[in-house]
Amino acid sequence: MSRSYDRALTVFSPDGHLFQVEYALEAVRKGTCAVGVRGKDTVILGVEKKSVLQLQDPRTVRKVVMLDDHVCLAFAGLTADGRVLIDKARIECQSHRLTVEDPVSVEYITRHIAGIQQRYTQSGGVRPFGVSTLIIGFDPHDAIPRLYMTEPSGIYTAWKANSIGRSSKTVREFLEKNYADDLDEAGAVKLTIKSLLEVVQTGAKNIEISVMRKDGEVKNLSLDEISEIVVEVEKEKEAEAERKRGRLAATLAAQGGMLESGAGATGA
Amino acid sequence: MDYKSTMTHADAARLKKGEVNLGTSIMAVQFDGGVVIGADSRTTMGSYIANRVTDKLTHIHDRIYCCRSGSAADTQAVADIVTYHLSLHAIQSGERPSTHVAASLFQELCYANKDALSAGIIVAGWDKREGGSVYNIPLGGGLFRQPWAIGGSGSTYVYGYCDATYREGMSKDETVNFVRNIDAPSPTALALAMSRDGSSGGTIRMCVITEDGVQRLFVPGNELPTFWEGKEILPPPGQAAALQSQGEVMVQ
Repeated sequence: MSRSYDRALTVFSPDGHLFQVEYALEAVRKGTCAVGVRGKDTVILGVEKKSVLQLQDPRTVRKVVMLDDHVCLAFAGLTADGRVLIDKARIECQSHRLTVEDPVSVEYITRHIAGIQQRYTQSGGVRPFGVSTLIIGFDPHDAIPRLYMTEPSGIYTAWKANSIGRSSKTVREFLEKNYADDLDEAGAVKLTIKSLLEVVQTGAKNIEISVMRKDGEVKNLSLDEISEIVVEVEKEKEAEAERKRGRLAATLAAQGGMLESGAGATGA
Repeated sequence: MDYKSTMTHADAARLKKGEVNLGTSIMAVQFDGGVVIGADSRTTMGSYIANRVTDKLTHIHDRIYCCRSGSAADTQAVADIVTYHLSLHAIQSGERPSTHVAASLFQELCYANKDALSAGIIVAGWDKREGGSVYNIPLGGGLFRQPWAIGGSGSTYVYGYCDATYREGMSKDETVNFVRNIDAPSPTALALAMSRDGSSGGTIRMCVITEDGVQRLFVPGNELPTFWEGKEILPPPGQAAALQSQGEVMVQ
């Protein structure tokens, strides 16, 4: 009977939760990690690339997509759901240009995507989208970089740096510790790669980086460029570890010395 | 009267009262490596020139432009809708769109709405596959790819000149000169059309579209090439009076 499909799949629990939405967030947590970092005049999107199966064509798996000339999006979660949202957003970008004769602002298109996601939590017979998105870009005629995130619930928020998907909590904590305001492009890229390396064990070949500059230019870093920075980061980590080991050895030696002299003092 | 046969009659018959007309001279020429497009700059409402510095070369995509003639409103609306569809197509495919796709989109709109529209459009651009290409979409909504195309009310006056002057395999500079040359002794297509057609005039705007980008060129009204302005041969004043008194000549 068709009446059974009119019932909303997302209903309130007795204690005020929308469990379908929370389960959708679980689906997002299973997706590959994506990181966004805002610099002084650039904004960076980094994504973890899922290992491609042997016979698969790697070019067909694109996680960072353009919504318009000046706006980029990366998502985490159900790929098919993400694709549908991206298509709707792309149409809205062009429709806005046609009716208002102006490109969308990053906030506008984020609000539009979040609005679609919210609608699917309050309609009959549909389930929420299992994706969170990171949206970067510059508003038309503006030099301020923007970074927004949307969630399956339809909430959207602006960020200086954020991550979604697998191990996003770890990455976000890393970002909280290491983020600095007004990073230049190189610094922002390095921070993005460093934070991704926390969760991507296999290194540069599974990382994709997109850099957006205020003139609207989007640059996808090549594997070589990413590898170069990864090598640099590893060297720094190694040097830091070396310093720690050196300090530890010195402390132990000092402690050992203290014990002996202490024993001597208190001993006989 | 078969009002579909000439551009000017069709324009007068189709334009609504008070509607603005792009009675025009437009042209586009393909060369190896790109296209050169050009247009005059006059927009008329009857005999009033509503805009004497119009830009009839409209950006559709980074390397695709269109030249508009006919009703200003109709062509602006169609161009805006094609821009919408082409941008969507381009961002979904991740590549620059081909000129052919743009021309096909124009054709779909112009043919499907042929009874309501008065739009003669020339689509020209550069893409990776074809290099430069020019597509003519006259009033009925047919699509014709040509090495060069002229359009608008002024074009009728320069078919002969263009047929006689066009050569295949011209370089970029030769093509620019074909459209506008003011240095060479031989006159230019657009300037000739503008000097004979009342609905065309003002300035010449041109774009050179290649893989590297779009270069805009401008010829202000006072720098247009001048041709034989035409002078009536009148009888000398004395002779006219003498003839008058003999009752030979009617006084005007």
